[in-house]
Amino acid sequence: MGEMEELRKEADNLKDQITEARKVVQDTTLQEAVAGTTLVGRVQLKTRKTLRGHLAKIYAMHWGTDTNCSKLCVSASQDGKLIVWDTLTTNKVNAIPLKSSWVMTCAYAPSGNMVACGGLDNMCSIYNLKGKDGNVKVMRELAAHTGYLSCCRFLNDSEIITSSGDCTCILWDIETGTEKTIFAGHLGDCMSLAVSPDFKMFISGACDFTAKLWDIREATCRQTFSGHESDINAIGFFPNGNAVITGSDDATCKLYDLRADQELITYQDSGIMCGVTSLAASLSGRLLLAGYDDFNVNIWDMLKAERVGVLAGHDNRVSCIGVSSDGMACCTGSWDSFLKIWN
Amino acid sequence: MDEMDLPQMKKEVESLKYQLAFKREKSSPRHMVKWIEDGVPEDPFLNPELMKNNPWVEKGKCVLL
Repeated sequence: MGEMEELRKEADNLKDQITEARKVVQDTTLQEAVAGTTLVGRVQLKTRKTLRGHLAKIYAMHWGTDTNCSKLCVSASQDGKLIVWDTLTTNKVNAIPLKSSWVMTCAYAPSGNMVACGGLDNMCSIYNLKGKDGNVKVMRELAAHTGYLSCCRFLNDSEIITSSGDCTCILWDIETGTEKTIFAGHLGDCMSLAVSPDFKMFISGACDFTAKLWDIREATCRQTFSGHESDINAIGFFPNGNAVITGSDDATCKLYDLRADQELITYQDSGIMCGVTSLAASLSGRLLLAGYDDFNVNIWDMLKAERVGVLAGHDNRVSCIGVSSDGMACCTGSWDSFLKIWN
Repeated sequence: MDEMDLPQMKKEVESLKYQLAFKREKSSPRHMVKWIEDGVPEDPFLNPELMKNNPWVEKGKCVLL
């Protein structure tokens, strides 16, 4: 037997053992645990603001988290601009022209001092918002990925994590502009990533239909979650950091429990046949807001796994969604070039 | 998914061994249910009281600029 064949057998054997280990810790299902829970009443959120200014499809948005910018958000559009918005007034705080208009992701640093973006240029560009002369300039261009930049998230002002179409994620040192750690293991394009609330872990969703949990400092893949039948486009941590939420082209979202290392529930409906593009949980984790290719956002009761509301208002695909850090508002971004604030 | 070369396959096997070693816990969904239910009263999307002063809604009359 060739070495490759032996390794393949070993891998399959290990996967079977993981499946068995998961069965051992299986407890009551989520459905059983919520048998007595009442479904949340119909959730109706209204558009409070429409952010107009982009001239092409919006691909990404991210809320600020620092108390000074908790009502600010950054958006990226293929009109070649990053815009930092004051969502209360709808004013543009910054309108940053990009070298490459093929942007696919953007991020706001937790400190509020920087934003980042990237896309088909395979790079992650970091912009300093608090430069001395008031001009926003490129601070660093992080280049090493051999595929498009699908997502980026700051850990702090000196570190950022990126995910790429080259199937890897990278932890960067922004100061030196170099790669600290390369997280390899996915067998398909990495489409999305999210950092845990304690900043020690991150999760990635990929076109190999799996989500992986990575230990940032140990530089290892701790757990792999399967079950989706197509690309995972969106991923997020459940608010308490103990579970992971994924959204896929297979038209479903799934909730995975980190401690038991297995799927808790699938959010699906026979009436939904299009892919999930984006997702965000409400502050308590009771609601899951998921954007779909059919231009809508469905609101799910995360415990009962039933739809309890819809955000309808965009004239094209909802590409991105985010809930503000205080849970008071949801922002959606669309290929129709608008962002909307809902609550 | 069978397009891995030998070095990648070796890394995949190493990774699977590491993932197998993870200490899985019998974590009952009831903990998650309780955590969520405890948080619902503070969730602005579920408690209308918290949105009585909605910063995104104009209050009062129009302002002359």
